[in-house]
Amino acid sequence: MRILSIETSCDETGVAVVDDGRRIVSNIVASQLAHQDTGGIVPEVAAREHLRALDAITQTALAEAGVELRGVDAVAATVGPGLLGCLLVGANYGRGLALAAGLPFVGVNHLEGHVYANWLYEGTTAPPEPEIPAIVLVVSGAHSDLVLMEGHRRFRPLGRTIDDAAGEAFDKVARLLGLGFPGGPFIERAAQDGDPNAYPLPRATVADRYDFSFSGLKTAVQRLVRSLEAQGPVPVNDVAASFQKALVDVLAEKTARAAAEHAVDTVLIGGGVAANGALRAEIAKRIGHPLVVPPPRLCTDNGAMIGAAAFFVLRHRGTEIPQTVRSDLKLA
Amino acid sequence: MTLLALDTSTAWASVALYDGAAVLAEETWHAQRRHGDELFPAIERLLAHGHHTLADVDRIAVATGPGSFTGLRVAIAAAQGLARGSGASLAGVSTLDVLAYAHAPGKQRTCALLPAGRTEWYAALYQERNRKWLRRSPYIVATLPDLCQQIGTHTLFVGEIDPETEQTLRDLLGPKALFASPASRMRRAGYLAELGWLDLESRPQTRLGEIEPIYVKQPAIRVSFDQPFAPAPTDEAALGLPKRA
Ligand SMILES: [Zn+2]
Repeated sequence: MRILSIETSCDETGVAVVDDGRRIVSNIVASQLAHQDTGGIVPEVAAREHLRALDAITQTALAEAGVELRGVDAVAATVGPGLLGCLLVGANYGRGLALAAGLPFVGVNHLEGHVYANWLYEGTTAPPEPEIPAIVLVVSGAHSDLVLMEGHRRFRPLGRTIDDAAGEAFDKVARLLGLGFPGGPFIERAAQDGDPNAYPLPRATVADRYDFSFSGLKTAVQRLVRSLEAQGPVPVNDVAASFQKALVDVLAEKTARAAAEHAVDTVLIGGGVAANGALRAEIAKRIGHPLVVPPPRLCTDNGAMIGAAAFFVLRHRGTEIPQTVRSDLKLA
Repeated sequence: MTLLALDTSTAWASVALYDGAAVLAEETWHAQRRHGDELFPAIERLLAHGHHTLADVDRIAVATGPGSFTGLRVAIAAAQGLARGSGASLAGVSTLDVLAYAHAPGKQRTCALLPAGRTEWYAALYQERNRKWLRRSPYIVATLPDLCQQIGTHTLFVGEIDPETEQTLRDLLGPKALFASPASRMRRAGYLAELGWLDLESRPQTRLGEIEPIYVKQPAIRVSFDQPFAPAPTDEAALGLPKRA
């Protein structure tokens, strides 16, 4: 089954063609550059950019896959969670495309997309599918969710952030240190030349549940930077490394603990923060075996992950397939 | 040939099916903010009532505002998708042009009004000159007092005008303010269909991604619109009514 899939929940316009929920035939992602100046995503600006770019990117994705719309079996698009105005662009374009071409339309939960990014591959040889049950950590600028995947499309939420998302913490600290947006890649680069033990920072634990809290860490970094500024130039690399270590420790500790408690071998990660090398390494260290993770470009938002999830929606439908946008959709 | 017209510019939404000579079906409803949920079911009902399928549709017209940015993008994104999927040609038509066009035969100077949030309104002025019904102002966003300063003569107000707004306009303009009846001041996609049809007859297809909402710049009224009979805007999105003999 060949699916044309669309992702517009935030600031990446992504369109892909995916076969049988696994093989990437084409995967075009246009990152919006308009937000670099504002240091954050302006929802109205993002929605405008999606509308301008989406049809052309869809054309490119089909052309690169060497297929026409006639050669596709279904059209999928993200219907939530995400920025409402952005979701509406992709979902309505996709639904129009599907209706006009006589194809089924599949509304996809963005978080399921991040999970099923772990099923994707490029090229001709299929690697083995991840084993289920699995612990899944989805961490990005918008979400920090830890879930137990009991079966296909059966998710039990274990914990989530009670304040900032992990990616937001990266963005805010990057801004404090005068680094660019989005913060993740800039912090990671700076941290490579820094000492992660230079400054003690709090590892916020929310009782002994699996919830996360990052606003305390962010405030601690803010205080640290202020006091360092008073003493002279801020050692940016050391602060970045100490911050990254504190954040990664918390994410990796809870992920590994959840895997142990539920006696699960498979750990899957997704979302922009999952592209962080230190996080991948720390989780692998704590669970005691190598992590099988998608390459960074499949961890960040893209159309292919929506095509993968859509395939499993059709195979394990259970409930009715969503057609309309719900910006507060959860993984359950 | 059949044209599908889609309008989700404001809390009111409308869809129509048109064949160049007659409106085959039309639906206008108060969608509030549910355009994303209600547009496609409305399109399917419309096709059923008009005894057509999407395969018959080879032209699409979509309202481009000004209006609610999020609302407008629902129908525009849907129209782009439908056009891409069916090969139909697509025209974007200003929502204010649609509102005023219904009143062109009256030859009365007409002001189309739509809510722009808080105390502001989107507006444009229309008038027949040399037998041509044309928009005579840029698309404006302004408060009612600012807008009324530009109105020097008897003007028919159409659009989403509630009783309170009607009273404000009467207070500001006295007898110069004229009002269409409640039903005839509303927007109907049948008129959008007519304008879209004319547009596609006269203009080559633009790139689908170029059809987007009219994002009116904020205080446009002060910089570019200072007299009631300012020349028609040069971008010439003027309404090309067929010439009457
Ligand atoms: Zn995401």
